[in-house]
Amino acid sequence: MNQNLRDSMSELNERAGAAWSAALVRIHVSRGVGRMALLLVATFAVFAFLRPGIFLNSVNLTNIAIGTPEIGLLALAVMIAMLTGGIDLSVVAIANGTAITVSSLYTAIAEAQGSSAAESMTPLILLVGLAVGLVLGTVNGLLISIARITPILVTLGTMQLFNGLALVWTGGVTISGAPSALRTVGRTAVLGVPVLLVILLAAAALLAVLINRTPIGRKIQLEGANPVAARYSGISDRTTLMMTYVISGLLSSIAGLLFLSRNPSASADYGSSYVLLVIVIVVLGGTNPMGGFATVLGVVLATLTLQVVSSGFTALRLSAYEYAIAQGVILIGVMVLDQFSFRKPSRPVPVVTDPQPSSTAPDK
Amino acid sequence: MSGKLARLRGPNNEGLLVAVIIVVVVAMALASPAFFSPSTFFALVRSSMVPLVFALGVLLVLISGGIDVSFPAIAIFAAYATVKWLLEAGLDPSPVVVFIIAMTVGGLLGLLNGVVIARFRLPTLIVTLGTQSIFKGVLIAYIGSVYIASADLPTPINDLSGAHLVEVSGGGYLHFMIIPVAIVTVLIALMLKRTMFGRSIYAIGGDTEAARRVGIRVVRTQVWLYVLVGSLAAFGGLTFVILGRNANPQSLVGIELDIIAAVVLGGASIFGGRGSVLGTVLGVVLVQLINNNLVLLGIPSTWQRATVGVLLLLGVSVQALGASRGRRRPVVVAPKEAAT
Repeated sequence: MNQNLRDSMSELNERAGAAWSAALVRIHVSRGVGRMALLLVATFAVFAFLRPGIFLNSVNLTNIAIGTPEIGLLALAVMIAMLTGGIDLSVVAIANGTAITVSSLYTAIAEAQGSSAAESMTPLILLVGLAVGLVLGTVNGLLISIARITPILVTLGTMQLFNGLALVWTGGVTISGAPSALRTVGRTAVLGVPVLLVILLAAAALLAVLINRTPIGRKIQLEGANPVAARYSGISDRTTLMMTYVISGLLSSIAGLLFLSRNPSASADYGSSYVLLVIVIVVLGGTNPMGGFATVLGVVLATLTLQVVSSGFTALRLSAYEYAIAQGVILIGVMVLDQFSFRKPSRPVPVVTDPQPSSTAPDK
Repeated sequence: MSGKLARLRGPNNEGLLVAVIIVVVVAMALASPAFFSPSTFFALVRSSMVPLVFALGVLLVLISGGIDVSFPAIAIFAAYATVKWLLEAGLDPSPVVVFIIAMTVGGLLGLLNGVVIARFRLPTLIVTLGTQSIFKGVLIAYIGSVYIASADLPTPINDLSGAHLVEVSGGGYLHFMIIPVAIVTVLIALMLKRTMFGRSIYAIGGDTEAARRVGIRVVRTQVWLYVLVGSLAAFGGLTFVILGRNANPQSLVGIELDIIAAVVLGGASIFGGRGSVLGTVLGVVLVQLINNNLVLLGIPSTWQRATVGVLLLLGVSVQALGASRGRRRPVVVAPKEAAT
């Protein structure tokens, strides 16, 4: 073969290889986002290809869009706790606490003064609901930052406590009733995009700005990355942890309002399986369970991906149990892959820059 | 004085738990004289057995510095698969063989946990979250989703279900399964205290790197640990089927955090390296005491969960206080030395 041609071929090969590894590095840098975006597009494409009639149906797409926000908000609540190296197991209990408060307050006012009076007091009722998240988040924050108890233990305890109080309040039964404004929000779409999804995206954007562009966000990140360094640079970990769990409580509380907007009933037991699912999502979204690294976009994409897989499995007539298997396989697969890409940089990088050694290798 | 108090409190707050249990028991006895009866006691034993077996598994994992949320899935997988297979094969082996089959299945599932955790050094909570989901999915999607009622259970299991050691008038009875459960509990306690394997688990939980440097084979120990915990879970699962007189693949869902709470209440440290079988037994007993008899104190049963939550928070606060006092001590000593 022509030597020139061979040279230019190998140069081209080299350049393609370099570009490919550069792309890989870029994906690795924002591993949560890049990986999840790829996974989301891939899963979406697979299901759209296999069952276009059912999967691409507008009803199905809408279901994905309105199923995502409540789980997404809970995931963001856990994410911010995980960013500081902690965890919040009480998010679902707080969300239910909010939903129960709003529902019973609305019903009580409607019974006492008529439903129109209750409707007109909607903003106040919703604020009381959010206050529940604020207070319960503060309880977590106090126990973690002042009493210095490990977050996983505090929230394991407060999860039981908040859930227990909800059981006491409701007597273990499902209560119904919600301001009609909430239900309207749950049914409305703007330009084909459900308002619920818009709420999730807005909350995510706010949280992203808070984490990446504000002093408190920087402190939260540094606290998770290196608590000792954070202390020596004059950051009060008490304030930081306190803020973290208050924000987590508020996000959970908003998720609780979304529960009501989808279905105007509340119970202490709602979404008990969400606790573990949400942790799966947060870790899939590229959050480091040891703290210090997380991206809001990664978590939102992970939530969407799991919703797509879930509804795709339904479209393929696979059961919820097969979805559970897929969920586990995806989680462990991604974690194992991560482990390999983490180890890679420590070795001398065997990039394709020099084709010579690899061609001589088989001779040895 | 404080030394004596510390000894009474026990290395993992066992003394404190005993005190709380005594207070609760006395209060219940005062509130209702009917409390002090064999049937109340037997009911407490009966309801504590399965949680205790699970709690022992959770204890082992916590001591090694991990968290396992897959044990309910392993338990029901092993128990249900064994029952189903015995029915399909039409076999009625001795109960011992039934337990061996189930515990082998559980051990294999545990092996998967252990290999993934030890080989890739991944966070145990995340791995067991994943495997929990896989085990549950495989069980219901491919092994069986049908409820198997008492009448259809294999004979050895049915025989065990009705095996009572002691019966008292008034409906109370002590179930036979207390014997194997007690034996397993003692064996685990001996293993943790007296064997190289048990001490290695503490060492790994205390400081993995230090354990590696003194020559403990960390990966091998971890893998065997998860195999052991898997078969313990299977033992608990089969006990659950025997006591409940039915095999339902959908049962045992969502109990993982409750069991972990009981173990933590029993003084085990979530950071590893600390925890005792005695503390775990006391933690489980306290939770079951509250779950069974809270009504006797005039408190409605809806308060159960909240009460356990408050107890757990109090328990970990006491531990946190103790830990911060321990941390502070050297700081107090240091200026003295500097002065002299």
